[in-house]
Amino acid sequence: MITDKGFLKRFRTGILFTAPTLFAFTTVMIVPFLYGLYLTFTNWDGIATTLTYVGFENYRSVFEDKAFWISFLLTLKYVIASVMLINVVAFLLAYTLTSGLKGQKFFRAGFFIPNLIGGILLGLVWQFIFSNLMVFIGKQLNLSFIENSWLVDPDKALGAMVIVTVWQFAGYMMIIYIAGLMSVPNDILEAASIDGANKWVTMRAMILPMIVPSIIICVFLSLQRTFMVYDVNLSLTAGGPYGSTELISMHVFRKAFLSRDYGVGQAEAFVLFLLVATITFLQVYFSKKKEVEA
Amino acid sequence: MKQFKGFGLFIFSLVIMIIISACGNSSEPVKNNGAANKPSEENSVAKPEDKPKEVKITFLNTKGEIQKQIEEAAAIFHQDYPHITVEILQTGAGQSPFERASSLYAAGNPAQLAMLDGGDVEKFKDRILDLSNEKWITDAVDNSLKATTFDGKVLAFPFAVEGYGFIYNKPVLDKAVGGSFDPSTIKTTKDLENLFKQIEASGKPPLMIAPMDWSLGAHYLALGYATQSTDRSQVDKFVEDLKAGSVDLSNNAVFDGLLDTFDVMKQYNIDKESPLSGTYERGPELLAKGEVGIWFMGNWAWPQISGFDTVNGQYGFLPVPISNNPDDFGNSEISAAVSKRIIVDKEFSTPEQIEAATTFLDWLVYHDNGQDFIVNKANIIPAFKNITLEAKDPLAKSIQDYIGRGKTQESMSTLPADHWAKTGASMQKYLAGVANREAVLEEIEDYWKSVK
Repeated sequence: MITDKGFLKRFRTGILFTAPTLFAFTTVMIVPFLYGLYLTFTNWDGIATTLTYVGFENYRSVFEDKAFWISFLLTLKYVIASVMLINVVAFLLAYTLTSGLKGQKFFRAGFFIPNLIGGILLGLVWQFIFSNLMVFIGKQLNLSFIENSWLVDPDKALGAMVIVTVWQFAGYMMIIYIAGLMSVPNDILEAASIDGANKWVTMRAMILPMIVPSIIICVFLSLQRTFMVYDVNLSLTAGGPYGSTELISMHVFRKAFLSRDYGVGQAEAFVLFLLVATITFLQVYFSKKKEVEA
Repeated sequence: MKQFKGFGLFIFSLVIMIIISACGNSSEPVKNNGAANKPSEENSVAKPEDKPKEVKITFLNTKGEIQKQIEEAAAIFHQDYPHITVEILQTGAGQSPFERASSLYAAGNPAQLAMLDGGDVEKFKDRILDLSNEKWITDAVDNSLKATTFDGKVLAFPFAVEGYGFIYNKPVLDKAVGGSFDPSTIKTTKDLENLFKQIEASGKPPLMIAPMDWSLGAHYLALGYATQSTDRSQVDKFVEDLKAGSVDLSNNAVFDGLLDTFDVMKQYNIDKESPLSGTYERGPELLAKGEVGIWFMGNWAWPQISGFDTVNGQYGFLPVPISNNPDDFGNSEISAAVSKRIIVDKEFSTPEQIEAATTFLDWLVYHDNGQDFIVNKANIIPAFKNITLEAKDPLAKSIQDYIGRGKTQESMSTLPADHWAKTGASMQKYLAGVANREAVLEEIEDYWKSVK
């Protein structure tokens, strides 16, 4: 047995099995992360052969950069709307598609497909829908709310982004919810129905508590994905109209690569990392408490 | 948490795949370098006399519209210089030239020749070759090298001259004015407004304003800087003053006039109802089919326009008037300048590769095939006096005509890299009518103060 042997021997065996992963993890995650952190203390522009230390100057710029915080608040708005809608839609789809509907496998596959299309392509397809197709329909049928492209109005453009995001991710989350719903034991549902519980009560008292793990994962995944969204943002609105839908990832990217302010861009990315890590940690921590055993 | 683990594993395997494929790519040039350094056995057996060593160089093309042409040119160049192979790279979707070039440097595998925008060249100055002693320096047209000369060293090859203004569809304008339209009759904002009225009276929407931030910021608004003075050093000083925050744009006659013209344009815009809904792709179609008379754009749009052409290439340029005094600078001068420049890497390239790279540049300027590529294949206006081929495409021809008559103003080709995005957004607000003139000019002043 492994435990019989000395520490060194155990360590060696451990290293043998973890080394490949550890190596990959270090080179592609840890090293770039630390290097990025190091760059936040310099004024590098992305190409110069020399760089100067500027201490915490970049972090000060982050807190003084009004555009960064406006963009963060906008992202928060987008994230809250998207996460709620994604999960509600995904749950409803999952619930419907586990209720024994005819052809439900076909529908499951259908709703999952948008998730297989890349964000850039998706953005371009929806750009066409919003600025050509809907406008055309709106003009033909005199529907004033789609007579002009949604993408040219700041509020509607954000709404358009939420719609596309929900359309993209709901299918994926639906799969997770379906797995959760199928693992709800039938005996307790049967017991509930014998006790005379109606559908709503069963849902609230039985199903929802049983699928809390799925909810945690789905909320976590959608939180993290919507916070980091870039591709849809780029190809659907490109931050427009007039920079009003520039979400936080795009803002950071543009700071570093467009304004050539690598140091500040990196610092903003790091601040963003801390904020998102805190939010997702709190989400997982508090919702974990709601988990129950069957 | 099962699904999450699966997801992590998936990401991890993706990352591994990327590493492996990335390594595969970067090892290739290294191998070739090795091959280039020692003459390959086959060659030394076949031809004992001194044969140039095989060299492979890469060229980063950042003018996506000529990718095909430039690949053909590389093949023709290979026929002229069989020992040199030029591989053409390009920028990815949504990637800027600077981003691509700098990431190639970060990977330690830069392109020997990289095409950049004028303003980016200085950033690379520690890493690129001083081209001051090249032969083509003496044949370059006036003012084409100044913007990329630092500490007395010419650091970039002027690749393309581009100009912009109002592109007009001549048959549409002929019909509107009742006779043959003469572009020199449009010298003031008033003239332009009359022309718009005439086009409208002839039953067509007068013009299309393409609402992209780059067009409005880097091209339209930049006219305001370039026409501050006929003396370029005054323009440079004006930009410096903007950075220092000592310019009051709301009391600047040129900006006032430029935005007056813009107000007129807004009024006759085909997309007046929803000014931001237009796209670049729609412009060439409307113009070439004669559905509008005028489109504000540059000669780079020719490939798209020619795709829809219904009037046998009868197009030309009109300068953007900025006042009602016909003699003011800018009212009859077209905006043109060297837009794309090529730099030569010296940091990671072997002497043979550098030699090959400069040979390629010489080929572009002096070899018949190189000239043919630039002017006839790629429809580029060359920045060299010795190239006498005449452009075939009407837009380049029109720009060349203005240059030949000395009726040009130098476009702003070295603005800060984020200028187009930031000021373009301000101009979009003005176009959409959500911000008034004062607010927009203030945003522009604020932008300049933030430039480091």
